[in-house]
Amino acid sequence: MTNEKTAETQVKEKGKIKIDLHRMEMPKQAPCERKHNFDEVATGYTLEMALQESRRCIQCKKRNCVEGCPVNIQIPDFISRMQKNDLAGAARVLKKYTSLPGICGRVCPQESQCESKCTLNKKGVPVAIGRLERFLADWERSQGGAAIPDLTPSTGKKVAVVGSGPSGLTVAADLALLGHQVDMFEALHVAGGVLMYGIPEFRLPKAIVQGEVEYVKKLGVNLKLDYVIGINASMDELLESYDAIFLGTGAGLPWFLDIPGENFNNVYSANEFLTRCNLMKAYRYPEYATPIKMGRRVAVVGGGNVAMDSARCAVRLGAEKVMVIYRRSRAEMPARLEEVENAEEEGVEFHFLVAPSAMIGDGRKNVCGMECIRMELGEPDASGRRRPVPVKGSEYVVETDTVVVSLGTSPNPLIASTTPDLQVSKKGTIVVDENGKSSKARVWAGGDIISGGATVISAMGEARIAATAIHKYLVNIDQ
Amino acid sequence: MFEVVDHEKLTHKVHRLRISAPHVARKAQPGQFVILILDEKGERVPFTISDWDRQAGTVDFVFLEVGRTTERMARLQKGDTLAHFVGPLGKPAEIDKFGHVVCVVSGYGLAGMVPIIKRLKEKGNRITTIMQAADNESLYNQEALKQFSDHLLIGVGGAGGGPATALKPLEDMLKNLDHEPMDRITAMASICLMRFIAEATRNMGIKTTVHMAPVMVDGTGMCGACRLAHADGTQFACVHGPEFDAHKIKAWDTLMARRCTYADDSIMQPGFKCDNCSQW
Repeated sequence: MTNEKTAETQVKEKGKIKIDLHRMEMPKQAPCERKHNFDEVATGYTLEMALQESRRCIQCKKRNCVEGCPVNIQIPDFISRMQKNDLAGAARVLKKYTSLPGICGRVCPQESQCESKCTLNKKGVPVAIGRLERFLADWERSQGGAAIPDLTPSTGKKVAVVGSGPSGLTVAADLALLGHQVDMFEALHVAGGVLMYGIPEFRLPKAIVQGEVEYVKKLGVNLKLDYVIGINASMDELLESYDAIFLGTGAGLPWFLDIPGENFNNVYSANEFLTRCNLMKAYRYPEYATPIKMGRRVAVVGGGNVAMDSARCAVRLGAEKVMVIYRRSRAEMPARLEEVENAEEEGVEFHFLVAPSAMIGDGRKNVCGMECIRMELGEPDASGRRRPVPVKGSEYVVETDTVVVSLGTSPNPLIASTTPDLQVSKKGTIVVDENGKSSKARVWAGGDIISGGATVISAMGEARIAATAIHKYLVNIDQ
Repeated sequence: MFEVVDHEKLTHKVHRLRISAPHVARKAQPGQFVILILDEKGERVPFTISDWDRQAGTVDFVFLEVGRTTERMARLQKGDTLAHFVGPLGKPAEIDKFGHVVCVVSGYGLAGMVPIIKRLKEKGNRITTIMQAADNESLYNQEALKQFSDHLLIGVGGAGGGPATALKPLEDMLKNLDHEPMDRITAMASICLMRFIAEATRNMGIKTTVHMAPVMVDGTGMCGACRLAHADGTQFACVHGPEFDAHKIKAWDTLMARRCTYADDSIMQPGFKCDNCSQW
């Protein structure tokens, strides 16, 4: 490794810090190429790139970036080791705070978390913390997988973790590291939750997710697939065999538009479209047995990250035209800017201030068009965003043969409906205190099941808090 | 992995599998279903549970050989394994003392309805069962149905049959309500037959329920593939059903079209003939 760049990177002289304003870009597949494959879009830093980027960190005394991280990764500590070329040491630091760095490094919205707090962000060029995290995770994987840290002697306490998505995996890993016996239950045939069924391969390769699931299993966590809590065992039955339960069952129930014709063929929920494509690998049909029926003109309704994922899957599945239909304007879109830009580069069209009012059938109950109405922005609503108001008489028809409805989801009611003494909100979320403790004795919860729908990293942050509280409870049982 | 404990061929296209799955057997109730995956590249396919043995830890279901996955299942032998098997999913069938219950069955319903009829009988109901099949060779499970029914009627139609064959005995009974009242009708049959029954009883004040078997992916309420328009709003067959009040279901024609979304890919084999309803 040569160090020619040292001169223009961080050098401390006479108490003054020179700042390198050149934020290292991450290589990506060109849009014209990636439109035709499901391989990862961003290909990751090379070793040289990563080391050079790491040297931009000025190791601030006040660690604002750590405050911006929902799981409080000691960011300057792992970066300082990278600056000294100590990749193994850097990876060890990282793993102390997250068991899922390959996932976080890819799907966290760093621009609104750690990187937004970075001192260099005052100049608009924060250290690329997320890319460095991703690099370290991938490097560790290329070295034959993560080293298993020394495990705490067994406490003899048993914890059931329900759901194996971001929050479940975090709680399971944290508690296993503390010496508790953890059994993790998953209703689907593969672990990972939304990381497997929701986020597409080209944004988060499934091999990365399974690699991190394997790491959690190596910590001693037992994984039980095809097992539905609320059906195969009730909460009370679980409590007979376990000292504590963590519920991380997510928000899986899709919302629909509730407009005429919504059940026509080729009208999908984003969950179904993405599950067929990602979890069941319909893009490799017939090698994989699950088909996905999609036409040539795809309309995706919604403006979140899931809508972007759906639109970009449709591009890769061979759609000629993919449109995102959103009822507010670009500024109110909840999707990450980076994902919107990626979608635009891949040829996805955005139709702002438009809302569907009815699906039009072809006479054989297949969708062949969508009646839409133009909107304008009125007064702010409860979310603080300006409320879209229909413009009278502005109806028109969007020609489409496949519609993906991506409006959001609410919690699956299965556990709540089979556990009468578990307090839930009107929205169906489990009510918890600041430590993630539910109204039911010995039961904690975190992730989308308490928030109703947020990010992977916020779920992990809530899981971290719950794991700490569960540990505190478990060590105090005998006293 | 879930072992195939037994495989019996019931007619030329109908098979019964018995799978070792103690955690499913322990909780199974009449009217519920399972989802299985053959191997790591397989699709998730739902089947109605037709019997179970809690002690032996086994679950039975019947399937019709109609597509890629079911054709592969037809070749499974005792000792083979399934990669995944999850259940019992969906709500159990509604069982109570209703009085005189008429059960209409066709296809997999000849087996899937048996646990329901058995439990209804135990509750003290009088049961009339109407079996429907395209021809005599396609009839199976008569003994089991007979055992728990007070009266068994068989409707066998020619090529394709048409719903009229099974509807005839039902229509005769509906004309004779003064002499022989009917308290409830429940059907587990082809979607077009269930639709005809729903229409036949809509204005007669007879509670009619149907057991739906739409296309599903996850089967736990996550994807909405199995949704249907319902008087109480959009409902999912996998979590709100699969049994529904037939008169609360709206837009049967859309439901029938949805049932066939993937017909050319995984439901129907080449040469399958559609007789107004492709699920017939």
